[in-house]
Amino acid sequence: MKRVLTVTLVLALFASLLAGCGTENRDGQGRKTTLNLFTWEGMFPQEVLDEFTAETGVTINYSNFDFNETMLTKLQAAKGGDYDLVIADDYIIETVIAEGLAQKLDRSKIKNFGNINPIYQGQFYDPHDEYTVPYGAGVQTIVFDPKAVKIDITGYADLWDESLRNNIGIIANYRVINGMALKVLGESYNTEDIDVINAAGKKLLELAPNIRIIKDDNLQDDLLSGEIAVAVMYTSQVTMAKMANPDLKVVFPKEGIGFGIMAMFIPKNAPNPDAAHQFIDFILRPEVSARCFEWLGYYCTNKAADELIEPEYKEFLTLPPEFTSAGMEMIQSVGAEAEEAHARVWTEFKAACGQ
Amino acid sequence: MKKRSKIAGVYLGVMLALMYVPILLVIVYSFNGSRISSVWGGFSLKWYAELFRDRSYLEAMTNSLVLATLSSLCAAVIGTLAAVGMPKISWRSKNVIEYISTLPIMIPEIILGMVFLVYFTLMRLPLGMTTLVIAHTSFCIPYVYMLVKARLVGIDKSYAEAAKDLGAGEWNVFLDITLPLILPAITSGVLLSFAMSLDDVVISVFVTGVHTNTLPLKIYTQLKTGVTPKVNALSTLMFGATLLIVLLSMWFGKKTVQQTRRRKNHEESSDSYPGIGLVR
Amino acid sequence: MNAGETRTRRRRGTRAASLAVAPLYAFALLFVVGPLVYMVILSFLRRAETWGVVRELTLENYAHILEPVYLKTFYESLKLASLTTLLVALLGYPFGYFMARLSRRWKQRVMLLLMIPFWTSSLIRLYGWIIVFRANGVLDRLLMALGVVQAPLKLLYTYTAVVAGMVYALVPFMIFSVYSSAEKLDWQLVEAARDLGATSFQAFLTISFRLTMPGLLSGVVLTFIPSMGLFFIADLLGGNKVVLVGNLIQEQLMKARNWPFAAALSVVLMILTSLMIGLYRRVSGVKDLEGLV
Repeated sequence: MKRVLTVTLVLALFASLLAGCGTENRDGQGRKTTLNLFTWEGMFPQEVLDEFTAETGVTINYSNFDFNETMLTKLQAAKGGDYDLVIADDYIIETVIAEGLAQKLDRSKIKNFGNINPIYQGQFYDPHDEYTVPYGAGVQTIVFDPKAVKIDITGYADLWDESLRNNIGIIANYRVINGMALKVLGESYNTEDIDVINAAGKKLLELAPNIRIIKDDNLQDDLLSGEIAVAVMYTSQVTMAKMANPDLKVVFPKEGIGFGIMAMFIPKNAPNPDAAHQFIDFILRPEVSARCFEWLGYYCTNKAADELIEPEYKEFLTLPPEFTSAGMEMIQSVGAEAEEAHARVWTEFKAACGQ
Repeated sequence: MKKRSKIAGVYLGVMLALMYVPILLVIVYSFNGSRISSVWGGFSLKWYAELFRDRSYLEAMTNSLVLATLSSLCAAVIGTLAAVGMPKISWRSKNVIEYISTLPIMIPEIILGMVFLVYFTLMRLPLGMTTLVIAHTSFCIPYVYMLVKARLVGIDKSYAEAAKDLGAGEWNVFLDITLPLILPAITSGVLLSFAMSLDDVVISVFVTGVHTNTLPLKIYTQLKTGVTPKVNALSTLMFGATLLIVLLSMWFGKKTVQQTRRRKNHEESSDSYPGIGLVR
Repeated sequence: MNAGETRTRRRRGTRAASLAVAPLYAFALLFVVGPLVYMVILSFLRRAETWGVVRELTLENYAHILEPVYLKTFYESLKLASLTTLLVALLGYPFGYFMARLSRRWKQRVMLLLMIPFWTSSLIRLYGWIIVFRANGVLDRLLMALGVVQAPLKLLYTYTAVVAGMVYALVPFMIFSVYSSAEKLDWQLVEAARDLGATSFQAFLTISFRLTMPGLLSGVVLTFIPSMGLFFIADLLGGNKVVLVGNLIQEQLMKARNWPFAAALSVVLMILTSLMIGLYRRVSGVKDLEGLV
C-alpha cells in the first residue's frame, strides 16, 4: 500500500518539476508585458497568438470560462480587473456594460477599426460601438441530410413534420429553441409577453416526439454518424459538418434569421489595456482575421477579410451578397419574468422529450 | 476453492478491461487525422504536433497535477486525523461538524463554486492555487474521512490499549498501530480524491485565478468551438506516463518484496497486515 | 498502576484526540460554514431584474419548487440515483470483496489498474463511450459483422445509456469502500465456519457480509450523494432528455440568472439527500457507523 502512495508522490514530484511556468513577464521598465485573455478555449489558432507575441513582445496568458455568466460573475468578483481582454456573447456584454465593468475603447489605438463589417455594428448591446469590436457571428440555420429526410425543409415549421420522428438534434440553448417556436408563431425572439411565451411552449411540446438529442457539444458528430437527420446547431458545428460532408443541406429558415455576435471588450480595470488595444488592432488586420475565422468556423465580422477567405470556407463564413440585415433579429436579454417563463417552458419541453 | 478463485479472477479481469475500453478509443482517436470523431481522416500525428506547439496545455496539466496532489494530501491529513480522533472525543458538536464536513459533496458543484467565489472574495483571498486547493480539499475530505471511518469500525481497541499500557505514547500508537491498519483506506481515499480533483471543472472555473488554468478547464471550455483531438493526444501521453511510472514501481517493488521475503519468510505466508488476527 | 495515572493518561488521550480533530473543525468552520450560510441566505432573496439579487427576504423561491414541473426533477434525480446506487452496489461489491482476497502484490496492482482510467478526464472517457455506442459505431459494426443485428441499434441517447454511464463513473467509490473494509477480514474465521459445516454461502452471509457492512454502507453513501447532483452524464449520453435537479440548478444559475431559485433548489436537494441517507441507515440497521449523516 505504501507503494501506491509512493507512485502518487512520484507523480507529484514529476508535476512540481514541470511547475514554475505561468509567472508574469515584465519588460525593462517593470511594465507588465502579459496580456490576460479571458474567453472560451480554442478561439484563436496558436500561430496567430505566437505571431502577436513575436511582433510585440507581449506574452499571452489565455484563461478560460465555460459560460458567459461565469465570466460575468468572475469579472464582478475581480471588480473589472485581473483580465485585459474578454471575448463573450452579445447579450452578456450588454449586462457587463450596464454593470460598469467595461471601459471605452480608444479608437486612436485601433487603426483597423474601419475593417469591421457594418452589419455587425451598432447593435443593441453597444449601440454606438464604444466598448466592443465584434469577433465572429453565428447565424441560426437548419442543417439536414437530404438522403435521410423525405421532405424538403425550408423553415422551422417543417421540423414539426411527423416524418422526422426521433430524428432531430438541437442545441441546449433555450432562447434559440423556444425562439424557433416563437418564430413559427410569427412572434419576435424577444417578446416579453408571458402568454406568447407559454403559447410557444405549448407549440414546442408538439415538437418533443421528433427530438432525439438536446446537447451543446459535438452535435455535428451525431449528424455525420447518422444518429440524427436534422440539426439546429451552432455555426461552428455547421461549418465542421459541412466540411466533412458537403452533401448536407444548410437552410436559412424562411421564418426569419436569428443571429448572435461574439465581441471583444476591455474590462474597466484591466491591468494592461495598452496590450489589449494592440491585440484588437492586430486581430482586425484582414489577413489575420481571415485565418482566425477559417479556424473558428463562425461568420467573418471583418469586411476587409471577406475576400481573403479561402474558397472552400467562403460559403460558410461570409454572408451571401443578396443578404440584408432586414430579416435578421438578434436574441436580446429579456426581463426577469419573461426569462423565468422561458426557463419553465424549456424544462417542460425537455421532460416531454424524455417521455 | 480453486474454481471460485478463478471466477473471481475472471470477474476482476472483465471489469478492469471494461474500464479501459474508452481509454483505448481515446488513444486510437488521438491519431485521427480528422478533427471530427465520426470521420476517420487517416493516421496522423498532427494533434501531437499541435499539442507541443501550445505551451498552455502543458502548463494546465502541471497546474492540475500540483492541485490534485496538494488537495488529496491535505484531505488525507485532515480526514484521517479526524476519523481517528472523532471516536475518542465526546463533544456535543462532533456530529454537527461531521455533517457539515460532508456537505461539500451534497451541494451541487455549480452553486458551491459560486458561493466559494463570493466567500473568497469577501475574505480577500486572492484567487489562485490557494483557493483552488481549499475548494478541492473541501470535496475530497468526505471521501477520505468516510473510508477511514468504515475501516476503523470493528478494529479492536484493546490492541492500542495494550500498546499504551506497555508505555507507548499516543503518537507512537498512532504511527505504529493505527496507521498501518488504516493505510489501505487512506490510500483508497487519496486515489479517489486525486482522480476527483484532477477532473473537477465546475468548481475550479469559479475559484481559479488568472494564471492557474487547469486541464479540465481547457477541455470543458471548448464547447463553443468543439473539443479537438489535441485533448486525446494529451490524455494518451498522460496515460502512457502514468502506466510507465506504475510499471516501474511494480518492477522495483517486486525486487523489494523478494528481498524482504528472503529475510522474513514466515511472515509473508499470512499475506496480511499486522494486527489482522486481532480483528473480531 | 494507580488510578491517578490512568486518569492522566486518559486526559492526555483526549488532548491528542482533540488535536487530531482540530484541523477538520477549523476547515469546516472556516471554509464550509461560510459559503453554506451565504447559500442559504441567497435562497431567501429575490432576483434582480437583470443581474444579481435584491436584498429583500422572500419565501417565493421555495414556493416555486412546488410547481409540478420542478418537483418532477427531484423525482427523476432520486430515481436515477437509487437505480445507479443499486447497480453500483451489485457490481462493485463483488469486485471489492474479490480484490481483498488477492495476494498483497496483486491488491496493489489491481488498485492502481482500476484507478488509472479515472485519471483521464471524464468528458474524454464519455466521448470514448459515445464512439463505442453511437449509430454505426464500434459496437454496431462489430455486431453487424458478426451478423447479430442487421441495422444500427440506437443505443445512445436512451435512459439505459444514462444509467450505464452513471454506473461506470461511480463504481470505483463502491469498490474502494468495500475493499478497504473487506481487506481487514480474518479469512480464518470464514474457514472456521466452513469447517463447522456451513456452506460457503452461509459462511459468507453470516461472517464476511456482516463484517463488510460498514464498507458497503459507506460505499452506498459515497455513490448516492454524487449521483444526486451528477447531470452531465445524462446530458451527454441521454441527450439531455432526463431533467435532473443538478441540470435545473445549472440552468437557473447560468442561463436564467435566477440565483435565489438555484440556491433554494440546492438547499432542498441537500436536505433530501441527507434524509435519504438517514432513512437508508435506519432501514439497513447499521449502527456501527454513527454520526456521519
